[in-house]
Amino acid sequence: MPTSPASSGFAAPPAAGRAGLSDRWFSVLLITPAMLITLIFAILPLVQALDVTFRMGDLSRGRIGDYVGLENYRVVFADAAFWQAGWVTVKFTVVAVGLQMILGIGIAFLLHGATFAKGLTRSLLILPLATSAAVTGLFWRYLYDTQFGVMNWMLGNLGLPEPNWLGDYTIALWSVVLFDIWQWTPFVALIALAGLQALPKEPFEAAELDGASRWRVLTTLTFPLLKPVLFLVLVLRTIDCVRLYDAVAVLTRGGPGTATETMTFYLYRTGLKLFRMDYASTMAIFFLYVMLVAAVFALTPLLKQFTDRAKEA
Amino acid sequence: MRKSLASAGLLALLSSGGAFAQECTDPVQITWSTIAGFYTDAMASFVKSFEDANCAKVTVVNIDNSQLYNKQVIEMVGQTGAYDVVTLETAEKAEFAENGFIRPMTAFFADKQDLLNDVSPTLRAMTVEYKGDVWGLPYYTYSAGMFVRQDLLDDPTEKEAFKAKYGYDLAAPTTWEQHRDIAEFFTRKQGDMLKGQPLDKDFYGVGLMAGPFPEIQDEMSAMIWGMGSDWLNAEGKVPVDDVEKAMDMYLRLMPFAPPAALTVTYDGVMNQMKDCQIAMTAGFFLDQWPNAVKTEENCPGATMAAIEAPLKKAYVGGFLLAVSSSSANPEMAEKFVAHIGGPEIQQQFAEMGGASTLTSVLTNPMFATPEKRATNGQYATLNQVFESMAGFSSNLFKTPFGAKIYNTMQIPLQSAASGQISAREAAEQLAADVEKICGGPCPIAN
Amino acid sequence: MQRKPSAVVEILRYGAIFLVLGFFVFPIFWMVLTSFKPEEAIMVSPPRFFFTPTTENYVHALHDKNFLFYIKNTLIISVISTAIVVAFGSLAAYSFARYNVGDGHILFFILSTKMMPAIAVILPYFLIFRDVGKTAVGKSLHLGLDQHGALIVSYVMFNLPFAIWLLVSFFQDIPRSLEHSARLDGLSRIQVLRRVTFPLAAPGIAVTAVFTLIFCWNEFLFAYILTRKAASTVTVGVESFFTLQGILWGPVAAAATISVAPMLIFVLVMQRYMVRGLTFGAVRG
Repeated sequence: MPTSPASSGFAAPPAAGRAGLSDRWFSVLLITPAMLITLIFAILPLVQALDVTFRMGDLSRGRIGDYVGLENYRVVFADAAFWQAGWVTVKFTVVAVGLQMILGIGIAFLLHGATFAKGLTRSLLILPLATSAAVTGLFWRYLYDTQFGVMNWMLGNLGLPEPNWLGDYTIALWSVVLFDIWQWTPFVALIALAGLQALPKEPFEAAELDGASRWRVLTTLTFPLLKPVLFLVLVLRTIDCVRLYDAVAVLTRGGPGTATETMTFYLYRTGLKLFRMDYASTMAIFFLYVMLVAAVFALTPLLKQFTDRAKEA
Repeated sequence: MRKSLASAGLLALLSSGGAFAQECTDPVQITWSTIAGFYTDAMASFVKSFEDANCAKVTVVNIDNSQLYNKQVIEMVGQTGAYDVVTLETAEKAEFAENGFIRPMTAFFADKQDLLNDVSPTLRAMTVEYKGDVWGLPYYTYSAGMFVRQDLLDDPTEKEAFKAKYGYDLAAPTTWEQHRDIAEFFTRKQGDMLKGQPLDKDFYGVGLMAGPFPEIQDEMSAMIWGMGSDWLNAEGKVPVDDVEKAMDMYLRLMPFAPPAALTVTYDGVMNQMKDCQIAMTAGFFLDQWPNAVKTEENCPGATMAAIEAPLKKAYVGGFLLAVSSSSANPEMAEKFVAHIGGPEIQQQFAEMGGASTLTSVLTNPMFATPEKRATNGQYATLNQVFESMAGFSSNLFKTPFGAKIYNTMQIPLQSAASGQISAREAAEQLAADVEKICGGPCPIAN
Repeated sequence: MQRKPSAVVEILRYGAIFLVLGFFVFPIFWMVLTSFKPEEAIMVSPPRFFFTPTTENYVHALHDKNFLFYIKNTLIISVISTAIVVAFGSLAAYSFARYNVGDGHILFFILSTKMMPAIAVILPYFLIFRDVGKTAVGKSLHLGLDQHGALIVSYVMFNLPFAIWLLVSFFQDIPRSLEHSARLDGLSRIQVLRRVTFPLAAPGIAVTAVFTLIFCWNEFLFAYILTRKAASTVTVGVESFFTLQGILWGPVAAAATISVAPMLIFVLVMQRYMVRGLTFGAVRG
């Protein structure tokens, strides 16, 4: 007599068909190692950071001190530089993620129709991803240099204007965006490409037989089928862009002035240069809160998809 | 004569060897955190002589200059004892001493007054003492003067044209107004003439360190101190009017610097100089001389000169060695400090082209010879700088918030340099930032 | 799906692909080129493409700066972190995928831990490892500051959320019927995992492994704060080329090339397995 095939979470009574653990305990056992690490290394530091937000914490004067209630929150919220950093982060994320998605999907379509050298193209395309932002960022700084860089030399030879990529405060942020696009568009492109290649053939053959136009095929078939994977990529890239640090640190150090100072860089400056861990923790907690709220909205559909499929027989 | 020399030599041999009649089986471990670099790599080889003489094992940790401060503070706050000997900037000493990160070495140096007195007096006041105690010993000075393309200043065609345009003779600038005139004069486009030859690329009058790095305030220090003012006045506040004036002086130079000035610090300026792109620097670190002199190889007809900055006021200071208060082997650490800052090592350091901190080394005639020009040509100027700045001290080095201020000053200054805000706004923002850091007026120790 | 493309379109397509690849590859090409340039050919204007190549930068990086030591450290830390992430992550992901533990809440919680900016927790991590490193357990597992264990644990923590999310999709793609029949045949749950599920999830596991390895290899901030010398990684080691005489561009380029090479080889090898995995299981075929 087979055991019940429906082993769904806690809805059904635990099926203890074989000797040993019930399904319920087995499932808990499986997540234990991961949860243990998460609890110790995510919750504990988080709690500690939260605690610091309510205290005075000037590390270069050697101590995390007495409780000051909500004073740190008051100071941080009144800090114009904090909001400015938030705004820079939003600007950066929206433009960078938007362009990466569009370019990445475009490149995927471009490559999808190619008939040879697919493996080589994929391998070359993944190059930027395989490098460290802290190291290649340095070379981008060299490339961007107005005196010694190749980019302006090429532009000058073509008769085009030679911008001061990292020194002009009106374009410095976009120079950082360009670097991020260079590094991460391949990520989007490769995933979109894989998605395109995994699409089932039948619906498209049927559409072609029906004489549907390419545009129609794209909008009613291709994109709806790709939506889930593209959405996941969008979420992942947004989370990463919002936390951008390495690229800013190596390309502009937040400069000129504070034109490219993202939230995490301002956090770094406050926490590791001014050593005001109290303000830094407060900013981080606020940042996390905002992210969580956004995550609830963005992730609910994905979560629902997971839990639905998990509950299936 | 020879016999006494021989016996003296024998004695020396015996005494040094005699320090280890027994084997060094359990060497005392100390770690030295310092800045990466050729000179510091050379230092690592000097470390060997210390290890042998004292039965110690010294681990040298090389850290990037821009991260040295934070990395050391983290280890000291965490009291890990990871670094026994730390390397500090002049502006950081007061903060580290005040917060108990480093330990006073007054007792250790009590019987080594000769060594302390040998430290160049101007440097000594800034890097060694704080509130009556001895805290560290400098081993490397980056005190500033200026580098110029002397061949440009000497060229007859240029001299004539300059006199015609500005009404006075072309010579090394002694005021910032002259400096600006010279910068303007030598800023030319590709195709224009320089020394009677057409230029194959754009040429700029001055190279500035206007990038998002702390060095911009080192450059501006020359201007604000030249005015007789300081970053912090006696009440511990930023003199906004004076800072505005200094900022204006700096901004007047910006049009004559390469666009890359807004992204570089000292190594960028040196690269520009070596690539024949600039005529001179502003207040600039004299320790870069061995680097700057390479311009003569790269640019035909170029002759470099190291001179004092206009008004004979520029950034003075050095890297000093101090002992961490959480060190497990403080006595050995103290000995190490005295060793590296001491005459034996400083002499070797100088021979490799390092900017030494001891008067006896700096004024040693062997370094004033033409053969030594490539490595030690800046010594003469360095000595002049120390003389001119004798007795000088900045309040920035006397406040326990000095390090924090030093690490944030460049934000408003660089914002103004890049044109985002005006000089006045920069000065006011600086004053506001400093007040926030100090929680009011900054305390100035005496 | 495709109509026969015309020659013009094909030429345009491949032209566009060539430009795209050129854009993505050029900075790395420039970096590798720089690594073979003698010092006087690097910081010059106009930039030079022709010069006499030299290996002195590699000698400097490998010999003078002992760069292989950093590579060794990075290899140890990255490989072990990736192995642990794949192991713990797969188990947890399978649990979420099949048993719906926590009904989505725990899963959400795990992904949200990815959102905390590293800077905020860097000091708590520093203090935790400082203290743990002094205990007996900590010492045996090398969990102290400037020891490999500290970084390994940190990296596992950072990559688990992504790994779990990725793998949940994958496991859900595998038909339950396969697992049921295996159980009917008498295999225990663990055996089913080992013999049926994981092999089928190989593409997803491959993708997880690749991205985790890349992350660990290229991470900077934690490596910099939690290590000093003994456990320093490649990204920190590159810093030693930022000298008082300026950045040593030739050696930095050599060091960067050396550190990119293992990653490239790994990715090239893995990319065949990865293709299906790159859809994150979200495209249902």
